[in-house]
Amino acid sequence: MKRVVFTVYILFMSVIATSAQKYFTKTGNVSFEAGTALEDIVATNKTAASVLDAATGQVEFAVLIKGFEFRRALMQEHFNENYMESSKYPKASFKGMIINIQAVSFQKAGNYPITVKGTLEIHGVKKEITTNGSLKVSGTTIQALAKFPVIISDYKIAIPGIVRDKIAKTATVSVNCSYAVLK
Amino acid sequence: MATWKKITLAVAILAAAAALYGWYLYHKKPQDVKQAQSQFEVTAPDLTTAFNADESAATVKYVDKVVSVSGKIKDIKIEPGGAATVFLDSGDPMAAVTCSFYDTEAATVKKLATGQQVTIKGLCTGKLMDVVLNKCSVVP
Repeated sequence: MKRVVFTVYILFMSVIATSAQKYFTKTGNVSFEAGTALEDIVATNKTAASVLDAATGQVEFAVLIKGFEFRRALMQEHFNENYMESSKYPKASFKGMIINIQAVSFQKAGNYPITVKGTLEIHGVKKEITTNGSLKVSGTTIQALAKFPVIISDYKIAIPGIVRDKIAKTATVSVNCSYAVLK
Repeated sequence: MATWKKITLAVAILAAAAALYGWYLYHKKPQDVKQAQSQFEVTAPDLTTAFNADESAATVKYVDKVVSVSGKIKDIKIEPGGAATVFLDSGDPMAAVTCSFYDTEAATVKKLATGQQVTIKGLCTGKLMDVVLNKCSVVP
């Protein structure tokens, strides 16, 4: 009987421990730059959803393409209708792992460099990517920062000749997410 | 006036008009959702139910539209940078309505409290975990 109680207790504690090791946000910031000297092209999405598992290093992101805000209406329209075809592919996502998660101490405040590896899906095309970033631990909140290049043609996004000189071949994507503990 | 002069003048006027229109389109700012008339008025539970029941039909109906959503505030988040977000309770613990506010609206959001009943107007962008509204403002 004692053993049963003990086993249940251990199970219960491990459930608490694992649940306390997940972090999430629904207000992650994902932006990109794809401008050239001829044109500045910047867009920001403030409602990225992301989950980070501190125990395994598993990390997932999802954004709605229509949630990217541009400074010019026409740019946003072209982005959605011609390039990203957001009615057909409404979301972009990333699923991967922080491969050096053991180097991050979630109990100790600090800024930890990380390497993330996984699958990025944009415009219905999946690609393996690896990028460097950082995790800033302060108390129960965690801030994740990363910046990585995305080669536009890799994702079967066709840029017409007339605007080819205005749009960069490689977009720079920046991620800035503040996570809270998932209850 | 000779015919060729008339034609040249007409062409020049048309070209100028086209250039001006092009200039206008290029510099046109995104829609100011605060000033826009809402196309739908729904409650937070009804909106999330619509997306959970048939996401593609709800996407056609609501996405890219100005929607006024009323509901009870579940949570408020104000980032250090000033970006303010209000989460509306939908009755479903897994799916709320995320309302991301205009940066200029942060002061209004600070006056709101969890549990309060509000109506928020914004541009619907679709559903991730939550149904997401961008460019939000509080409907007085």
